Amino acid sequence: MRPFQVYVAKDSEHAVSLLCEHAPRAVILAGGTDLLVDLKHGSKPWDVIVDISRAEDLNAITLTGEGLAIGARVTHTDIMRSPVIRESAPALIDAAHSIGAVQTRNLGTIGGNLMTCVPSMDSGPALLALDAGVTIRGPEGLRRLPLAELFVGPRKTSLAPTEILVDIVIPKHNLGKPLVFLKFGLRKGQALALVNVAAGCRLNGGKVWEPTIALGAVAPTVIRAQAAEAYLAGRAPSEQNLSETGRIAAQEAKPISDFRASADYRRDLIAVLVARALRQACAGTEIEQAEMIA
Amino acid sequence: MKRRGRGIGCMWYPIGFTVAANPSAATVKVNEDGTATLLTGTVETGQGALTVLAQIAAQALGIATDDVHVVSADTDATPMDTGAIASRTTYVTGNAVRLAAENARTILFEAAADLLRVKPGQLEAKDRKIQVKGYPQRCVDIADIAGHAQTKLGQPPIGTASWNPPTVAMDPETGQGQPFSTYVYATQIAEVDVDDETGEVEIVRIVAAHDCGTAINPMLVEGQVEGGIAMGIGYALQEEILFDDKGRQVNPNLTNYIMPTSLDVPDIDVSIVSNTDPTGPFGAKGVGEPTSVPTAAAILNAIHDAVGVRVHSLPATAEKVLAAIKAKRAAEQRQIAG
Repeated sequence: MRPFQVYVAKDSEHAVSLLCEHAPRAVILAGGTDLLVDLKHGSKPWDVIVDISRAEDLNAITLTGEGLAIGARVTHTDIMRSPVIRESAPALIDAAHSIGAVQTRNLGTIGGNLMTCVPSMDSGPALLALDAGVTIRGPEGLRRLPLAELFVGPRKTSLAPTEILVDIVIPKHNLGKPLVFLKFGLRKGQALALVNVAAGCRLNGGKVWEPTIALGAVAPTVIRAQAAEAYLAGRAPSEQNLSETGRIAAQEAKPISDFRASADYRRDLIAVLVARALRQACAGTEIEQAEMIA
Repeated sequence: MKRRGRGIGCMWYPIGFTVAANPSAATVKVNEDGTATLLTGTVETGQGALTVLAQIAAQALGIATDDVHVVSADTDATPMDTGAIASRTTYVTGNAVRLAAENARTILFEAAADLLRVKPGQLEAKDRKIQVKGYPQRCVDIADIAGHAQTKLGQPPIGTASWNPPTVAMDPETGQGQPFSTYVYATQIAEVDVDDETGEVEIVRIVAAHDCGTAINPMLVEGQVEGGIAMGIGYALQEEILFDDKGRQVNPNLTNYIMPTSLDVPDIDVSIVSNTDPTGPFGAKGVGEPTSVPTAAAILNAIHDAVGVRVHSLPATAEKVLAAIKAKRAAEQRQIAG
């Protein structure tokens, strides 16, 4: 491990000023679950660490006029325990629960999970399927970006070295939308996703409305399965249509073959998991509508 | 869709090899406060072997297990032991400890016979006392006897012994003979759910019946069986060292070398089958390695029962199970078409 200096940022503005001073030799520390592995084994040129784990403006979960804002240093455990998230976006809780072990979830943050930008991240699919946006702070102030534009490639985001992620915002109209997160790993605990899926929709007059399907671990970044979404929109949620949607999603993904699994097997999993997630989401929608009628 | 299946695996396993020398030695000394110190060269690796050896010494001396202080593993200070290998510790080291404790007890009996005015053969060690058989009120505390043996008889109660399962040469012509001193037997039954769309195998329950001779410490036997089954699950479904084409391991860490977590191990029902082996310490044999032997067979048979496919290379990963299910479906389609 090479020597480094640590600066503790009191808020996101302070963090940006520290980054401006030390970039590109500086790196952000939030939960540290990925960073410490990199520091120990990596050959990254970092010798300054900007610790945001105590930054005052990054740890809130707030309902605003715009939607639900989740601060970048909110931990996976915080998400699992949030009544607001349980009410408005429960798929995020399933995703958070599937990450690592208790210790990882206590330290790891949602912002860190997105910014590390590995294709198998578990926080990405549900947020992407809910059309989340991200707020970025840089030397010129705040800017907003669709989450999809944050992801560039494996371990690569679109942020400049002097910018940091402030929060993730799920738009108001998607809060409460039926969405199901499913993950397939090589074991039940402490597993990396071989494939993870977040898929949801609403039903209107027996037809699928606004289907959204996001896939993780099967492309250089988390992606939306747009062809599959387009196919399903306006169709009945029949077994045949859901299976076909899964098949289309499997075709538009770009999984790799590696020692964990072959690309063909990952495609099989995508087809099965997409159909299952949509089936469960539709069942949830029917319950919701039945409750509304009652 | 999840499909339920059950499978059985049976095994026998040898304890105490005899094709080469396989000795253990032990020293037991009885102290003036009635406690004992056991010196053994074997190593505790988490299986509870030192507890079992202390129990064996305590049983032979008529004292409590907590009264036995075990000094182990330091080869400068302890007698030679072949090692915590080959499921041999309870059986081979246990026999050495029993004999060493009995040798120390012989000195206690001689000292007590002197005080109680009986013959040593009329005495027994029980409840931290040396007492006359049939007349337990005629007794002396082991603490007092230990002091008496040292200061009056000039013979400290220390016993040392070694035990080696008799080495038996194989027949040079047939290659046959008796390569082990004794054998243990077990059956395990696995109940699994196989997802026929993903190939994922979930183990719902495992029932395990094991013979280990006398279970000197039944809770440790259960722990050994559960631990062995967890390893067997890894062997059956997950664990594999993978190499690239240059021979470098591609999964040299616990992120990618997949082994079971607590969430992957199901409820395990352990039955200990009562049995006594006259060659073992207080009838005991062993239980360590045998516990992981039948698990994979039971799981693979359960997969066959659930979805009708045989996987012939371990680990039976979800990908392999799904490939076998697909191959079976394709064969069935060809049969219908033909």
